[in-house]
Amino acid sequence: MRCALRAAALAACVIASLACSNDPYPSADANAHVLYMPYPEAPKTLDPQVAYSVYDHEVLSNVYETPLEYHYLKRPYELIPGLVTAVPEPRALGDGRVVYTFKLRRGVRFASDPCFALGGAGRTQRELVASDLVFALQRIADPKVGSPVLVTFSKIVGLAEFGKRLATLREDDPAFAALRIDEQYRRAGPIEGLNWKVTDDLKVTDVLDVTLDAPYPQILYWFAMPFTAPVPWEAVAWYDGEEGRDGFAEHAVGTGPFRIARYQKRSRIVLERNPDWYGAVHPEWRAPAATYPSEGEAGDAGRGLLAPAAVGRALPFVDRVEMRFEKEAIPVFTKFLQGYYDRSRIPKESFDKAASGGVLSPAMAALGMRLERTVTLGTYYIGFNMVDPVVGNAAGERSRKLRQAMSLAIDADEFLRVFLNGRGIPANSPLPPGLFGYEEDYRNPFRSVDLERARSLLAAAGYANGVDPGTGRALRLSFDTGDTSVQARLRYQFLVESWRRLGLDVEIAATSYNQFQDKVRRGAHQLYFWGWVADYPDPENFLFLLWGPMGQTRGGGPNSSNFADPRYDALFDAMKNRGNDAERLATIRAMRALLEIERPWIELFHPEDYALTQGWLHNAKATGLTVPIWKYYDVDAAMRAERRVAWNQPVRWPAFAIAGLGVVLLVPGVATYLRERH
Amino acid sequence: MLGYLLRRTAWGAATVLGVLLFLFALFFLYATPQDVARRALGEKAPPEAIAQWLVNHGYDKPAVWNPADPLDTRLAEHLRRMLLFDFGRSDADDVPIAQRLRDGVGPSLSVTLPLFTLGLPLALSLALLVAFFRETYIDRVGVVLCVLAMSVSVLVYILGGQYLLGKLLRWFPISGFDPAPSVLLRFVALPVLVGLLAGVGANVRFYRAVFLEESGRDYVRTARAKGAGDARVMARHVLPNALIPVLTNVVVEIPFLFTGSILLESFFGIPGLGSITVDAIQSNDFATLRVMVYLGALLFIAGQVLTDVAYTLVDPRVRLG
Repeated sequence: MRCALRAAALAACVIASLACSNDPYPSADANAHVLYMPYPEAPKTLDPQVAYSVYDHEVLSNVYETPLEYHYLKRPYELIPGLVTAVPEPRALGDGRVVYTFKLRRGVRFASDPCFALGGAGRTQRELVASDLVFALQRIADPKVGSPVLVTFSKIVGLAEFGKRLATLREDDPAFAALRIDEQYRRAGPIEGLNWKVTDDLKVTDVLDVTLDAPYPQILYWFAMPFTAPVPWEAVAWYDGEEGRDGFAEHAVGTGPFRIARYQKRSRIVLERNPDWYGAVHPEWRAPAATYPSEGEAGDAGRGLLAPAAVGRALPFVDRVEMRFEKEAIPVFTKFLQGYYDRSRIPKESFDKAASGGVLSPAMAALGMRLERTVTLGTYYIGFNMVDPVVGNAAGERSRKLRQAMSLAIDADEFLRVFLNGRGIPANSPLPPGLFGYEEDYRNPFRSVDLERARSLLAAAGYANGVDPGTGRALRLSFDTGDTSVQARLRYQFLVESWRRLGLDVEIAATSYNQFQDKVRRGAHQLYFWGWVADYPDPENFLFLLWGPMGQTRGGGPNSSNFADPRYDALFDAMKNRGNDAERLATIRAMRALLEIERPWIELFHPEDYALTQGWLHNAKATGLTVPIWKYYDVDAAMRAERRVAWNQPVRWPAFAIAGLGVVLLVPGVATYLRERH
Repeated sequence: MLGYLLRRTAWGAATVLGVLLFLFALFFLYATPQDVARRALGEKAPPEAIAQWLVNHGYDKPAVWNPADPLDTRLAEHLRRMLLFDFGRSDADDVPIAQRLRDGVGPSLSVTLPLFTLGLPLALSLALLVAFFRETYIDRVGVVLCVLAMSVSVLVYILGGQYLLGKLLRWFPISGFDPAPSVLLRFVALPVLVGLLAGVGANVRFYRAVFLEESGRDYVRTARAKGAGDARVMARHVLPNALIPVLTNVVVEIPFLFTGSILLESFFGIPGLGSITVDAIQSNDFATLRVMVYLGALLFIAGQVLTDVAYTLVDPRVRLG
């Protein structure tokens, strides 16, 4: 009995000592060259032609590579060659068509994977060829893949038709549908706008000509998004989710600097250095996407982003990226403070403690932590439905004055302060900073609060003191939103109260996001709150949101205000395909001036991202676009290990105190019992 | 016994069918698949992509009645899948739900199993202890502590545990999970401790009441008259006889060990079956949610039958028939 007790006590001690540490990682990794990153949402898919969320792209962009990439440090964003040798220039064909020639690097290999055995027994690897890029574009057209960007890529001559042919063939002939995917694509016939040459000659690069039916310079940006990442057909054919194999959405086979070592997306994702990456195999190429840049934007040197230790070195710097799924913000922040994450967002609850007024708290700065602030390439706005009889075009000058007055009542600074801890900058036009055409000193005269002017505009519109002469009561408007949460309601209430000061009676109609979108599609909305985050860094990506032909109610496009002004549309046409020159800037200014008066939107704010980084994390620069950032990151593992130990000494005395208390409580009782028994 | 089991199973089948029809009404007729599609594809997805998603996921079929092919409806598909345990793929990310269940059982069990195997003996022994010292200050302090413990919400234990033991005292990681043996224990320790604390109060009080009632019975007096000591009376006579009410409490829980604890798993970031349910709710993943509700109903019925069978094993007087 006594022996058993002793064994139990010993076991308890062993278990306690094993369990008693707050280090969430195996101790063997303490000095490893590893990056520790939390992720708040599991990727939905690893299929590059389908993935469209930040969280998907965070993983994907490091595993797959695209023909083009963005320069890591330069702002405004600049394209650099990724899998190609040079950023292609457009070549006009005379009939309105435009050709881009992509020259693929030779010697780029896919990460080794068993799927390549489909191309020849025993094979585990293959070189990238132009047809892999074509395969990716074909997948965008394939209805079964369900890519969300088919509309954009349909500008490639014959791409949409390819998808239709494929669908018909599959429907008509079950035997066709059962064929291997590459065979299906081959039999569905060529895409007119994609012409390529594959050669076995190692000195000749693979060339792919992409023909568009009309000029669209922005297409190059799309070739920097994972949608155009070359995909081996073997991987799509092999990873079909049958017979115990993963689905392709869960298994990535790319050419990128990292490959996926573990993919348990509901708890962790581990990326490891891809030994076959061309940057690792051929550092002598000094390829722009495989070398740390030597120049950046002003101030980068001061932020340590151009350190001599990094500049010009072959990427990547870290051996592994350990990603941990963390749904809640507070545990991430706590673990960051304990040194277990290299980077963290700031939870709302801890904002004042960590970064009050946009400056890192002295206590955290003393620990070597840094605060990074970046304005996201996004704009949040209140829109008017321009086909609405009251606030829209039909009411002519009257509604214009009403919109102007309502715009003058909204205080974006106050909104940001109250609801976003000041994280954001007030918007004066649809264009966020970081884009060509954004001018810091531009002030929209209708975007500063001026209630006097607003009231006189209202009176001129025939709504003196906000009263609708038709009913004799306050003018009633409806404000449609797609968020029914309490926090959102408070935000909308703030806006409604602002308009109430003008005497207007705006009613919030909060529905589910889907119902809201449906309402907007049907044109059954009046005022609404929405935002847009850039796909690519071109002013066209924002200004097209107000382009007439994009009208949502009529044409199903993203112009949910249904703003249609021939002057604006003409300017847009002149602006969209131009390079960033003085004339383009002048056109953008003219468009801005038009929006200033017409007010289809009340531009509210451009959100700002606050991120905390540890002192041992180097070369971390925030980006608002899909950029494969981790190959640029570096860590000082020794410093991290040392600080983790210093920051995480367990406090043991309460354990003894609790045990002591238990003894104190029990002993007299037992003693009494024993005494009575005797 | 066999007749009883058959009858019980028939009732269970009827209940399951009801649950399935209810799920169908809720997830196919009330909530529209468009909601799910939009969540899965993201805000910027054009209407064409949404329509394609609906086709790819079979949501374009008629709901209940298809004159061309009566079996090609969403209702028929739903019943077929559930009854054959062919759960299909998640609406949110197309992962096979069966695979997700397999992946989730391990993490769930790694918390529920220690919680169950430690919790039951702990509650029983504490209950025996306070019952043994009945009417003394140990009993009274024990009962007060139990009432206190059971009055506090589980959330307070979770957040308090994370703050106190994770953040201030730095004994355990405040959340997370890793199946690697070298670190598994430290991830599991805090949720198990919190689970024990949260559950022990109510159980000790209940078991104490049972023990006290038993210890007033005639056979206990007889045992004492024969000269059995207090400890022996408690362990050999009172405990076995008090097991029936204990069993009602315990056996029902066994099937649910597999599905994990929703609260513990979501707060501690344990990728088990409990947090799958929460994730499915948050991401409009109705396909997974349907499966979880269905499995929950099946397990509940299984628990009930198991309890009845366990009665006959513990108490020879009980006959099922």
